Amino acid sequence: MTDLLFLAFAAVTIGAAILAIEARDLVYGAAALGIAFLGVAGLFFLLDAAYVGWFQIAVYIGAVVVLILFTVMLVGPKMGETPLGLKRVSLLAAILVSLLLGMTGALANATAFPGQDSCGSGCDLTLLSTSLLKNYGVQLEFMSLVMAAAVIGALAISKTDRGQ
Amino acid sequence: MEPLSSFFAVSVILLGIGIYGLTTKRNAIRILFSVELIYNAANLNIIAFARLRNPPIVTGQVLVLFTIALAAMEAAVGLSIIILVSRLNAEIDLSKLSKLKG
Repeated sequence: MTDLLFLAFAAVTIGAAILAIEARDLVYGAAALGIAFLGVAGLFFLLDAAYVGWFQIAVYIGAVVVLILFTVMLVGPKMGETPLGLKRVSLLAAILVSLLLGMTGALANATAFPGQDSCGSGCDLTLLSTSLLKNYGVQLEFMSLVMAAAVIGALAISKTDRGQ
Repeated sequence: MEPLSSFFAVSVILLGIGIYGLTTKRNAIRILFSVELIYNAANLNIIAFARLRNPPIVTGQVLVLFTIALAAMEAAVGLSIIILVSRLNAEIDLSKLSKLKG
C-alpha cells in the first residue's frame, strides 16, 4: 500500500516538475508547479511529517502558486517566450545533469541508509511545537522580522513609478 | 515504509530538473519555478535525513518549516522585481536585460 502510494506521489511530482519547466504556456506551467508541490507534500505525509505537509500545502499552493499566477496575468502569459535557438545547449545541459544524477545515484546506492520504521518521538507534534518555540524561539522571531522586511521591500519595489 | 534511498532518489531527480531549468531557460518566471523546485528537493532531503537518526529527531522538521517560510518570502520579492522589470522594459527575457552591464 505504501509502495503504491510512494510510486504514485513520486511519479506525479517528477512528471509535474518536468511539465512546469517545459510547458509552452506559463499558466499551465504554474498549475503543474502546484501539482508538483502537492506531490512533495504527499511524500512528506509518507515520511510521517504531517504538519510539514499541511504547511507546505498552505504556503506553497495557497500563497506561492497564487502569487505566481497573479504575476503571470499581470506580466502577460506570452511575454518572455524566447524561441531560443539553443537546442544544442539544452541537450548538453540534459546530458550533464543526467551525468551528475547518475554519479549521485551510484554514490547513494553504495551507502546503506537504515531508516527507522516507526518515527516515534521524532514525529510527535507536541515535541515539534515545544522545540519550535523553546529551542528555536529566537530564530522564529528573526524569521518574522525577515518576513516583515521582505513584505515592505516587495511593496517598495513594486510601487516605484515608471520612468523614475 | 519505503526505504529512505527512494526518497533521496526523488529529491535528486527534482534537483536535476531544477538545474536543467536554471541553465536552459531565459524567462525570469520559469527560472523562479526552477529555484522553487530546488527548494523542494532540499526540503524533501532534510525531512528524509531526519528519519535516519535513531531515534528520529524533530529538528529536521523545524528546519523545513523555516525554509518553507523563507522560500515564500523569496518568491514574493522575486515576483515583485519581475513585475517592476516587465513594467520598465516590457520584457522579462533575462538574456536581453543588459542595462547593468559595464
